[in-house]
Order: sequence, then C-alpha cells, then structure tokens
Amino acid sequence: MSKSRINNNIRKLRFQNSEMTQQQLAEKVGVTRQTIIAMEQEKYSPSLELAFRIALVFDVPLEQVFSYDAEADSK
Amino acid sequence: MSFQEKNISVSLVNFSLILAFYLIRVFQMTQGGSFTSTNIFRLWGIVIALAVVVTIVGTILTHIVSAIIQAIKTGEEDPKIEDFEDERDKLIDLRGTQATYTASSIGVLIAMLTFVFGQPPLVMFSLLIFFGLLAQVIGDISRLALYRRGF
Repeated sequence: MSKSRINNNIRKLRFQNSEMTQQQLAEKVGVTRQTIIAMEQEKYSPSLELAFRIALVFDVPLEQVFSYDAEADSK
Repeated sequence: MSFQEKNISVSLVNFSLILAFYLIRVFQMTQGGSFTSTNIFRLWGIVIALAVVVTIVGTILTHIVSAIIQAIKTGEEDPKIEDFEDERDKLIDLRGTQATYTASSIGVLIAMLTFVFGQPPLVMFSLLIFFGLLAQVIGDISRLALYRRGF
C-alpha cells in the first residue's frame, strides 16, 4: 500500500520526550501499539481527534506533529 | 501479531475448515446420489450451528492462549491483553465487512442466475451457503492483509 500524504514527526518527538516508548504513547492516547507503528511508518493517517491527542501529549501545536504533502497532489 | 490479528487468523482457519467440510459433504452427496433437499437443509443447519459454536469457542480460546503466552513472556501473574479496538481496528473491520458483503452479494447473484438458467432450487441453496462461507473467508483474508500492510 502507498504511503500516506500526511507526514509526521512522531518518532522524533518521542525521542525528544525522554525517549518515550511506542507503548507509552499508545497508552496515553488510547490506541494500540500497532497503530502507533503504522502511523510512524506513514501507512495510517489518524483521525483528527487522535492527531490532536498526540499533539497534546507532546505539548506542541498540531502542525509540528503532522504535515500535508501538497506536492503529491500535483504529481 | 496483535490480539485482533490472532482472532482473525483463528476465524480464518475455522471458516476455511467449515468451507472444506461443506464442500466435501456436498461432493459426497452428489457422488452417492443423496443430493436431496432434506440432506442439503440438514447440512445448512450443521454448517450454521458449527459456525456459531466455533466462532464463540475460537474467541474464548484465543483469549486464554494469548493470556498464557503473555504470562510466559512477561512472567506476570495477571497478564494484560491488548484486546480493545481502536479507530484503526474499527476501520480495518469495516473494510473487511465491505469485502465480505461484496463477495456475498456477487455470490447471491450467481446463485440466483443458476435458478434463472434452469437449475433446480437445490443448486441455488447449495451455492448460497457456499458463497456465504467463502465471503467470510475473503473478509478475514482482507482484514489480515490490511493488518500486515499497516492499513
């Protein structure tokens, strides 16, 4: 399956937040670890609600976690 | 492999076995000359009862076996199994259900067509349950494929 057009910095932010594990993040936002893995690999785009919850955990604005690859639209 | 994947794998194996059992029984009936409405409807009953029982027992066994494996891995007395469904699980389940319904609808259409083209109703009923089981297998395969790919 092709990668999502929504890119994210979840992995980077996890390491910046005292090397938070995927399991810890999953528990904080209420999803399974497999969903965090799928998001980090950019195979799954989360719902808006989950995206906000992730941004809240890292205490950063949403656009610092997620970005949209607009160039892919013109291809 | 997550708990959901294990559950789907068990369902896939169960429904594949039920499908194989159904095909073997129908083949035996046609070869032995006992392909009658009474036998086919009895087989319908057996297959539906099997599907219900096997699904319930399969889910319970998956829980128990997962807990035992988790306990062995972590050494915990009361292991925590990640058996809740999050948004991705629900989406994958929806996609699987869509595949099941699509396959089942095509199956019903084919079964009806055999009736339209002069086959006895017995053939139509046999095909209906065959495509019902096949649709379940296709749905489980598509769910597993989505889990393996990420989404």
